[in-house]
Amino acid sequence: MNFLKFLSDEKERTVPRAAWLSFPIQTITFLCLVLLFVWPIFRLVALGFNSEHGVTFENYQTILSDPFAWRVVLNTLLISTCSMVIATVLGVSFAWLMAYVTIRGKKIMQLFIVLPFVIPSYITTLAWTQLFSENSLLAKLLSLFPGHLQPWNLYSYMGMIFILGITHYPLVYLFTVNVLRKIPREMEQACRVSGGSKALTFCRVTLPMALPGIVSGAFLAFLASLDNFGIPAFLGIPAHINVLSTYIYQQIIGFGPDAFARASVFSVLLGVLALLAMLGQWLLQRTFKAGATTSSERKPRYILSRHSRVVLELVIWLFFIATAMIPFVAMMMTSLLPAYGLDFTMQNMSLKNYAFVLFESPDTQLAIRNSLNLAVITTVIGAVIGTAFAYLQVRKSSRWLKLCESFISLPYALPGTVMALSMIFVWMEPIPGWNPGIYGSMTILFIAYFTRFLILQVRGSATAVLQVDRSMEEAAQVSGANGWTKWQKILIPLLIPGILSGASLLFLTALTELTVSALLYSAQSKTIGVVIFGYEQAGYTTFSTAFSSLIVLLILIGFAILSLVQTFWRRKEGIANVH
Amino acid sequence: MSIKVAEVERTFGSFTALKHVNLTVEDGEFMAILGPSGCGKTTLLRLLAGFDAPSSGTIEMDGRVVGSPKQIVPPEKRNIGMVFQSFALWPHMNVRRHIEFPLMHHQFVSKALKKNMRQRADEVLKMIKLQDLAERMPEELSGGQRQRVALGRAIAPQPKLLLMDEPLSSLDAELRVAMRGELQEIHRLTGTSIIYVTHDQSEALAMADRIVVMNHGSVEQIGTPRAIYNHPQTSFVARFVGKANLVKGKWQGSFFSPQEAPDVHWEDHGVSEILKQESVYSLRPEQIEINQGDSGIPGEVANVQYQGKDIRYTVKTATARWQVDTDLTHNFHLGESVRLSIKSNL
Repeated sequence: MNFLKFLSDEKERTVPRAAWLSFPIQTITFLCLVLLFVWPIFRLVALGFNSEHGVTFENYQTILSDPFAWRVVLNTLLISTCSMVIATVLGVSFAWLMAYVTIRGKKIMQLFIVLPFVIPSYITTLAWTQLFSENSLLAKLLSLFPGHLQPWNLYSYMGMIFILGITHYPLVYLFTVNVLRKIPREMEQACRVSGGSKALTFCRVTLPMALPGIVSGAFLAFLASLDNFGIPAFLGIPAHINVLSTYIYQQIIGFGPDAFARASVFSVLLGVLALLAMLGQWLLQRTFKAGATTSSERKPRYILSRHSRVVLELVIWLFFIATAMIPFVAMMMTSLLPAYGLDFTMQNMSLKNYAFVLFESPDTQLAIRNSLNLAVITTVIGAVIGTAFAYLQVRKSSRWLKLCESFISLPYALPGTVMALSMIFVWMEPIPGWNPGIYGSMTILFIAYFTRFLILQVRGSATAVLQVDRSMEEAAQVSGANGWTKWQKILIPLLIPGILSGASLLFLTALTELTVSALLYSAQSKTIGVVIFGYEQAGYTTFSTAFSSLIVLLILIGFAILSLVQTFWRRKEGIANVH
Repeated sequence: MSIKVAEVERTFGSFTALKHVNLTVEDGEFMAILGPSGCGKTTLLRLLAGFDAPSSGTIEMDGRVVGSPKQIVPPEKRNIGMVFQSFALWPHMNVRRHIEFPLMHHQFVSKALKKNMRQRADEVLKMIKLQDLAERMPEELSGGQRQRVALGRAIAPQPKLLLMDEPLSSLDAELRVAMRGELQEIHRLTGTSIIYVTHDQSEALAMADRIVVMNHGSVEQIGTPRAIYNHPQTSFVARFVGKANLVKGKWQGSFFSPQEAPDVHWEDHGVSEILKQESVYSLRPEQIEINQGDSGIPGEVANVQYQGKDIRYTVKTATARWQVDTDLTHNFHLGESVRLSIKSNL
């Protein structure tokens, strides 16, 4: 009887549970993930123990007993820590202002705060160096004053720390502002009602609740400084200040006899530092989750008098003008000079550099084509795979998927130089004695970009999936729609704004990537970042500034279009006010 | 649609959400599943919808197994409609498109309906009284209107079973009562079986043909609203549905003597065997007489709540606290000594 029933069920196409994750699919996916994301790291670590005589600690012994190596590690720690302090002070101050205080124009301010995310750090560095260069307007302005004032030399420890700090403060800001908004107003009010003063309330309630958020934001800023290649490459290399990321790069570029082994050891050092910082950040974030509420409040809690509000707003805008506008104006001014060092006058101004960059130089045209190709392909494939993974991760959470996620986030968590190096080791000869020609072609850049940035899309899409209540899908299923219809009619329309913002971040990051490309490019696969870096290293500052100005302009236009599209979409679909 | 749930269990890790659940729903019946939060009622509803499979046992619909540990018929292949607690309206679709969506995709929609989709949508819109707001987006609707859209979407394809997961719980009190009438009307008009999950006993009593009372993942009692209210089988049902006082004492044949007044004899008005074995007598607040005479259980008024149409007294006796409802003609104040007895005309 049961047997018969089974037959009739079969005809109605009953679905066995968890068919989507049957064993063979699971195994194959797992193997792919391990090969793409984990195996390279393993190869990198293994190479450090490699020598002609088999497994050895020799490389570690030589390097760890070399005082110069320790100098590099110490530099890295010093610069990262100091820049973390700057980033934290700026980030927390802005977060507090934006979350709690009545000031006008917060939306525009927010845009200025996240600008360093959008503009690659090496372009920001270039802009600042132009502001502080010997024949800049600033230098002339200073020479009017008595006492031989000269602009600050950015090619120094302090210069690197400063630029790293102002590039990474948005990280701390973003972490802290959400935490602050999530502290319920009632918690503070309860303290006041129980007899606590304003100061006591801040010290005993607000600060302890926000601290995990602040500290984990600070850890992220530290990690970002460890990882950063552009800033130490533009400022540190000319001044012979070595940090781990640039030192690894120079080892590889130098092609010494034991270059790869040395680079591998340094990479392991840098990777261990990064993983330690990440562990700290992760532990702190866990402690915070326990006390967090889900809803966030956006209404200001500190009402300022008209006078002090205007003063405060003025200070904030001065900061934005000084950090986010003047350097770029200085960069644009340099780019309009026919030769570096000329005075900036009306007669001297020309578009010659732009003409060169756009129409004459084959390098830049190739680079734009390459970067666009890489960014588009990575984004499209990333958006599909990343969203699919994010959906599974949110809806069908399992230990297996958590493991997969940690694999996917590994290449992004590790510093870019370390990651790029591991790519070289794996793809130069995937199987000993067989070189498929992936290293040195666009393919290796694509693989590197995809594995490194996929997690950006996964996170963006996961946020979007989390915001769509499960019952939305269940309602579709009960109404008879499953599979593709459900995605097409319900999920994609609801997810698209979130997918788009993840995808645009991925696109932008890939378009202007420098760290990984600097180690993986070849003559035919130069990218935008590599070409700007090349011009700067060769001393063609007028070209590098012109190309950078163009890129900044393109990014700003792109963002304007994206936000227009998003507003339009929201209006059309009426998503704005639900949830 | 007739439904048969046989020996269904559902476990999540070491937690057992449903234990040995057995129940049947007749074609066209309005069945309420009543219980406190965490009693497993929503888990049971999700099993019926096909979002989840039982860990053991089977679920049959119209004689066909649709859910068992090995295989389930997914929701889109069951002839059902569902109203969600959060309504689950799609923010990017207007009211009309919500109604049309299941007409377009539901597998069991008759050819006639599919052909006259627009007409059917109009008909449903009229039924849920939203014909003038058909072009509105969900965010432009009030709570009650959203509720109706969710209902309209569920009934549009004329499913044979309608599942409702606390559909009124996110509405305010007044609207909640008003919507009861509309739900009953829909049930009369469509004649579908309805399974209605709620934690509000008055909702269940008011609308259902039969009620399943659940607690800690088990079925406590199944019966008509009258049977559940007047003759609770277990102490949980007596307390949860009737807010009854469980008086301790001794059963002697068909008479009961309360512990605090051994010489008093109460007649059996239909107390269940289970309660008798527990040596208790279930007495709802309105079944108790409160006076200042000298017969009955002595006590002291410990709390007074004026409720408009009646007064709720809490009376403290030697070993218990009693809840007693009286009409407005009786007035006792805090601390007053009173006597409690059973009303003669039960």
